[in-house]
Amino acid sequence: MLNRFPKKKPALVLLTAVSAMTIMSACGADNSSNTLSNAVPTDPPASTDTNANASTAPAADASSAPAAESVDDLYAKAKEDGKLIVYSTSGRANDAAETFMKQYPGIKVEVSKVKSDEMMDKVSKEQDAGQFNPDVIITKEVSGAVEEEMVMTGRYLKYLPEDIAPMVDEPYRTQAEAYANYVEFRTLFYNKSTYAEAPVTNWWDLTTPEFKGKVYTADPLSSPAFMDLFTTMVINSDDMAAAYKEKFGKDIVLNGTDNAGYEFIQELFDNGLIVLKGSDDVLDAIGKAKSDALGLAVSGDVSKNEEKGWTIAPIYDIKPKTSVPDSGYFFIANKAPHEAAAKLFIRWMMGEKEGTGEGLAPFNEVGSWVPRSDVKTKNDISFESLNLWLFDGDALYKTAPKVRDFWIKQK
Amino acid sequence: MANKRALTVRSTRFYNGLTNWLRSPVHLIGLAALLFLAYTIAWPVMKILYTTFLWRQQDVRLTGEANPGHFTLYHWTRVLASDMSMNLFYKPILNSLGVGFAVSALSMLIGCGLAWLVVRTNVPWKKTIAFLAVIPYLLPSWIISQAWLTFFKNGKIGGTPGIMEALLHVSPPDWLSYGFVPIVVSLSIHDSVFFFLIVGAALSSMNSQLEEAASVTGAARWTILRRIVFPLVLPSILSGFILIFTKAISSYGVPALLGTPVNFYMISTMLYSSMRSRLTTEANVLSLTLMIISMLTIYLNQRVVGRRKSFVTVTGKDSARTLTSLGRWRYPAAGTAAVVMILISVVPLLVLLFQSFMLKEGVYSLSNFTTHYWWGGSDPDINTGEKGVLHNDIFMLALKNSLYIAGVASVIAAVIGLVLGYVVARGRQSWIGRMVDQVSFLPYLIPGISLAAIYISMFAKPTLIIPALYGTITLLILITVVKELPFTVKAGSASMMQIGKELEEAAQISGASWFTRFRRILLPLNQKSLMSAFLLVFIGAMKEMELIILLITPRTETLTTITFYYAEKGYEQLTNVILMIIIAIVITVYFLAVKFGKADLTQGIGGQ
Repeated sequence: MLNRFPKKKPALVLLTAVSAMTIMSACGADNSSNTLSNAVPTDPPASTDTNANASTAPAADASSAPAAESVDDLYAKAKEDGKLIVYSTSGRANDAAETFMKQYPGIKVEVSKVKSDEMMDKVSKEQDAGQFNPDVIITKEVSGAVEEEMVMTGRYLKYLPEDIAPMVDEPYRTQAEAYANYVEFRTLFYNKSTYAEAPVTNWWDLTTPEFKGKVYTADPLSSPAFMDLFTTMVINSDDMAAAYKEKFGKDIVLNGTDNAGYEFIQELFDNGLIVLKGSDDVLDAIGKAKSDALGLAVSGDVSKNEEKGWTIAPIYDIKPKTSVPDSGYFFIANKAPHEAAAKLFIRWMMGEKEGTGEGLAPFNEVGSWVPRSDVKTKNDISFESLNLWLFDGDALYKTAPKVRDFWIKQK
Repeated sequence: MANKRALTVRSTRFYNGLTNWLRSPVHLIGLAALLFLAYTIAWPVMKILYTTFLWRQQDVRLTGEANPGHFTLYHWTRVLASDMSMNLFYKPILNSLGVGFAVSALSMLIGCGLAWLVVRTNVPWKKTIAFLAVIPYLLPSWIISQAWLTFFKNGKIGGTPGIMEALLHVSPPDWLSYGFVPIVVSLSIHDSVFFFLIVGAALSSMNSQLEEAASVTGAARWTILRRIVFPLVLPSILSGFILIFTKAISSYGVPALLGTPVNFYMISTMLYSSMRSRLTTEANVLSLTLMIISMLTIYLNQRVVGRRKSFVTVTGKDSARTLTSLGRWRYPAAGTAAVVMILISVVPLLVLLFQSFMLKEGVYSLSNFTTHYWWGGSDPDINTGEKGVLHNDIFMLALKNSLYIAGVASVIAAVIGLVLGYVVARGRQSWIGRMVDQVSFLPYLIPGISLAAIYISMFAKPTLIIPALYGTITLLILITVVKELPFTVKAGSASMMQIGKELEEAAQISGASWFTRFRRILLPLNQKSLMSAFLLVFIGAMKEMELIILLITPRTETLTTITFYYAEKGYEQLTNVILMIIIAIVITVYFLAVKFGKADLTQGIGGQ
């Protein structure tokens, strides 16, 4: 089914990307975020953060570093420190750390696994108390709160090695809050033993009698990333309205809701949406035994198929858009005590300059995409051909609580 | 002149009064305890309370009116009196209260029944029954709810059909499969051991002369139970009731799994949602409502217990303890108890153990047997090359840390609980005793994440005499001790309340200092309660997750952080292996405690 997607010409993508980058750099760097980069030192941390004792601006430290940081230089410096502290939301960091320590002996990597929202609390409190513990931060967004509360305040710093940057796909090169080494998203899954191909092509299909009481989702109240998808639908309600018209051939009529995004949520509930605790529960529900139901889960879960005994497949093309990206961002922490090692480790996880390094392997999996034009994905569909909404952190941050309220009122 | 003299007299009198007041160990220790509680509990709660009256930067997301840093009642109005209140607060709070009372009542039935059987009757296999009663608490509570689903789930949540549906071809109704009923049963099975231990300790220190006297005067067995035994163990029962009530309304895992499919939300699940959506203030308001409710129940409890004159059952006079004979019901009773408990505790345990040796879950053949998850090397085909637990690089470090934290914390917690319990029991007529009782109860209701976050700020820098503890194991021990105070203090005070003052007074007259009295009289007499406190805190600390996860630094990794990593990756067998190791450790500790600590939960204190 996937050859339906015409692959975009890579040259065109590159051209667009390069021109976008030129425009961006011409207009000066994006000053909504802090950048820690060896060659393009940008503005010091935003002064909005009154708590962090910013007597020495970390970005300024970085700018005093030699213009071209070679891997050898970094390794030499990193070896002096001898260690590296990583806070990560994903266990992939542990896998990368193991290969890293083989490649660069003499640097001990210690990984702490923390949930993204808890990591925000942990790092904020630590930094406010003058403790600067982590070097590398690997985190997902929390409805735009990471950008708003951590990136803009200079607690997490953006870092993208200059020599690798040209190969990175947008928005992760310049537009997003930071570089993300892997991108997942929430989408619908179906049972392969029931359906030969994807049973739906439009989100509005879920509101039809055919799927009454047959749609599962993980609880967006306890997993904000699920709510982000619904919030994005509210933000892009015009898209949802257009998709409604395409599906039913008439304009949408709102039943007391504000726009087509909210209307979709309400109709989903009216059609007997079943909420379960987590992503795994959803895939158990549709994938453990023969089932004609559909479930909303994380694209990366497809890699657990064998392990869990599921027969599930994700749908990668839904109208108006399949989903919104859930990106695994890389940052360097403010005043990272082992900066050279941090940079070296980030390079390693990116697969080094050529994108072929072993450190990339845990991130380049089925169901997740590495947004680098020179990295071959394990999925049948390339990152550029995924039909995704843009992750609009600012809009999400402001809209998410309202959509959450709306969701709670449906109960 | 006369004026001045009057003043001197008054100040002397005040001075004398003060020294007199302070000379009482209850007051002196009470003051020290209050100081400790003020810093570790009251201060964080105040901080939480304070934030609920201020606009935060984040609130701009909720309303345009937000004016960061200024006073507002918005958060309270939003929760208590807005168009959101019904679904955000009132329905969840009713569910919480319902679950709280039902779990307490059911646990009381299970716990008291077992305690009476084991402690006061001549039932055989006492040690086995006492041991089996602890096992459900060893298991993570979600395993019990998972087991419930395996049996009773219906088609609603899809997947493989439940065992009941598969065998009887009847689809269980929703109320049996999800929501209130299974939540209450799961939580009761998991927590009733608290009741068993608290009431069991009280029953065993009860002098059977009281019962015999009644028996001689012709009272029926039921009358004795109702008029003598019950009133005497009342403080313990009430303690257990409040404890279980609080544990139930603050539990998250079970209600989330069993409640979500039928839209059954409790305050705890709503609170978790607010937390994860970074609406921190909303979460704070919700947790404060829980704190207010439990303070009310404790106040009522103090009214009930405070009015009664004495619950003293341990006096200077020793006496033989006679057991109620069950007659021909001896073996049937023991058999029923054992079978039921084997079903709810040993079976899940064995299933988990088998699973940790199965290469693929659910495939029951010899070729599927493997020790890979225990000590296998890296195999790219299994769990993307993850090694067996015993080969995990940080396993030894984590094991050492876990043992250290749990061991030290549980000893400290048990002793502090007893000391504070002394203050609560002896000072139950004074404000000091009541304060200690109230404040020590809050930690169960402060969400672990909030408490941990506040502790980072409080202990990251050295303040006054306290060094910077963040990043050290000491802080993990401290927070474990604090978080378990509700249980240890309740257990301590319930047990202290039964010990007559005259024992202490006799020692005091012969010149023993308070410390000597405590060490030579109170400690030995409370040994059983002390040991059960130690055991339960140890188990809790070995399983603790959410509290520790924020405070951990890579240096202080524990077994639970490895579990967290495995669970996130979906490595179920590896998670089970860690769980088995934790359970094995706890069982070992249990037997060591029984053997060397004389913590036999089936024997009395007065008798032998």
